[in-house]
This record gives sequence, C-alpha cells and structure tokens, in this order.
Amino acid sequence: MSRWLAEALAVAAKDLRAEFRTRVALNSLALFALTTLAAVSYTIGPYRLATEDRPFLLSVLLWIVIFFAALAGLDRSFVKEEESHTAPLLRLAATPTVVWAGKLVYNLVLIFVLMAMLAPLFCVLMGFEIAMPWRFVVVLAVGGYGLAVITTIVAAIIAQALTRGALFSVLSLPLLLPLLIIVIEGTTAVATGDVASYSESLRAMVTMAGAMTIVSAFLFPVVWRD
Amino acid sequence: MSGGISISFSDVAKRYDLRVVFRAVSGEARPGEALVITGPNGSGKSTLLAILCGLLRPTKGAVRFLKDDGDEIPRNEWGRHLGVVAPSMAVYEELTALENLRFYARVRGLALTDAEHRVLLERVGLDPDRSTTVRGFSTGMAQRLKIAQALLHSPSVLFFDEASSNLDPSGQDWLEAQVQSLIDDGRTVVLATNDRREMTWGSQNVSLAG
Repeated sequence: MSRWLAEALAVAAKDLRAEFRTRVALNSLALFALTTLAAVSYTIGPYRLATEDRPFLLSVLLWIVIFFAALAGLDRSFVKEEESHTAPLLRLAATPTVVWAGKLVYNLVLIFVLMAMLAPLFCVLMGFEIAMPWRFVVVLAVGGYGLAVITTIVAAIIAQALTRGALFSVLSLPLLLPLLIIVIEGTTAVATGDVASYSESLRAMVTMAGAMTIVSAFLFPVVWRD
Repeated sequence: MSGGISISFSDVAKRYDLRVVFRAVSGEARPGEALVITGPNGSGKSTLLAILCGLLRPTKGAVRFLKDDGDEIPRNEWGRHLGVVAPSMAVYEELTALENLRFYARVRGLALTDAEHRVLLERVGLDPDRSTTVRGFSTGMAQRLKIAQALLHSPSVLFFDEASSNLDPSGQDWLEAQVQSLIDDGRTVVLATNDRREMTWGSQNVSLAG
C-alpha cells in the first residue's frame, strides 16, 4: 500500500471511529431518510401511482430522499474539524490531498451505509420493481460516489465560512442538480430494463463524477490551506 | 540532534479588514535557543505564532525557515519540521490518548510502534492504558497530550503558546525541564506567553505593543 493511500485511510479511519462513537452524522442521515421515507410511503404508498408513471416517479422520490438526507449529514466532515479546533493540527500534520482523500472515503462510507439501508426499504415500502437489480446497484454506487465527491468539496469550502447555516445546501444544489437528473434517468432505465438508456446515463454519471474528482483534487489544497 | 532550523521574520504585519493586529514585527529564532514573544492580551501573540507556523499568511512581511546550510524550506513543508502546542489547537476528543498519537503518527508517515507511543505518553505524565476518550480528560491532561503530539515526530522547531497555563506546579516544572532539554538538544523553541516564569526560559525576546 502506498504511503499516500495509508495516510488517507488513516484520516478516514479516524473520522469513522469518531463518528461511530458519537453517531452525529449517521443519526442525521438516518433520521432524515427514514422520516422522509415514512412520509412518502404513507402519503403515496405503492398503489397510488399509475403503472406507466411508476418507474420515473419512484426514481425521482428515491433520489430526492437520498440527496436531501446527504445534505443533512455530509457537511459534518469538515465543519466538525473547524468547530472542535482540530483542523490546525491536521493542516500541519497531513498534506492537503491526503486530507481530501480521507474525507472523501469517510463520506463515501456514510453515503453507502445510508443507501444500503434506504434503497431496499424504499423498494419494499413503495413496491418499486427493478428489472435489472445489479445495474441498479451500479447506478447507486456511481451516483453515491458523485454525491460524495461534490459534498466533500462543498463541505470544505463552507467550513471556512463564519455563517455556515444553509450555505451547504445553497452551494451544493447547483452542483448536484445535473447529477440528480442523470441518476434519476439511470434509475428509471434500470427499473424499466432499458439497457441503451442505462448505458447512456452511466457514461454521463461517470464523466461527471470523474470531472468533479479532478476539479476537487486541484481545488482542495487552495481551500484547505488559505 | 543534527540539522537545526532557524526562523527569520521581518516586518511582519497582520490586519483583519480595518483592524490592525500588529505591524512591522521582526525577529529570529535560532537552533539551541528559545525566542519569547510577549505582549498584553489582544496584542497578537497567538496570531504571530500562527503566522510563524504557516497557518496564517501575514498581510505584509516575510517568514523564512532556514536550514543550517542556508537553504530555505518551502512553506508547504514547514509542518513536517515543527510541533505546536496552543490553546486554539485541539486533539480529537472522541479518541483515546493512544489513538490520537497513532493517528498523528500515521498521517505524518511515521512507522512508530505502540510501545513507542506508550513511552511518549508516560514521558508526558499520562497513563497509556487509560481507555477513556480525551473528552473525559481534565484540561491539564489534555494539555499534556497536546505536548506529546507536538513531540511525536521529534521536530526541529517547537512552538508553545501559553503551554504551562493548564498544568499543575509539578507539570510546570516538568515542562520547564522539557523545554530546557529541547534547547540543549539544539532545537529551535518559540514561546508566546505572559507568564513571568516562562519568560525566563528564552534568550531572545519579541515584544508586541498591543
């Protein structure tokens, strides 16, 4: 294992250890997701949507729940470092790219835990039938990665601001909106079994997530150091 | 210790919008010596320390880290050569003392064993077998852990901001002996303080007006 990777994993492991002891971010994510899911399943349920509308509308609802739950909890990674005054020593001890990669891995783990809980529950409660289940997992994984990359860099930016409040959502939404549209198309495609549309959506998702990874890796050292 | 590092700063000024913290401060900290920064509350001692560490940029002036041979160390590498103990810099409350040291060693790329971490914790007066997280520590114990964190990588330069403030009298005696041993070992020490006792540890002085 390269030294850089070992250092990045040390940052992720430290954050995960701290998170599993306090469960602040996990509780925010889970409570928001479960409350929204309960509201959606109670008001709409599995039978209130016309059969032909179901794949698209249920995809929209699934991703709205995932996106807003992510916005409720993923900003903690950097805000906590600043609020608890641990950021200065981390700045001195680790290189910026190590911190960025470690925080990205941490956010990825949180988002994948959220998805692993939420997606099966959503499918059962809403009667969401998926024609291509393995490809559904791929859409969730790539969409989750894109979500983690964008929220990680936005969290780093807003952690430096004095008035954080709604800044995370305000800055994240314009960046997340194109990804949201693409993952909804991809999820609709895997629900209906449309392979061509799935491939097209997957290409767009990978391109966007890749571009955001490169931009974040270059932007982060400037945000973190200055 | 071989290969000391000097810190030279000239005409350093810091202002936040219209508020001037200090202007045109100069000085030098050399290996085997302690530089003491003094000044009334709000005069910018901690701000100057953060600038010397590379955590803040000065509004004007320059700070340079110089090796024995005169080569300058780039700003983005200063962190590797320095250790800091300051009230505005905390260790992780959700981790134990041993977990904190393990973490800082890993991100610094140090291959230290648990036995070495335990020795360091004992050296600063902490019980390495204590399983409670730092949240359960007294301020004095947390201060001792911060000192251990600063010494972990045997840095050439050490910054202490009000380092003895939360220590009991025996802890203050211990810290004085530690600082003296670091100076004797050829390390560069910078102290920001108003404590009369700490002021006597240095051979150079920079006074901020306030």
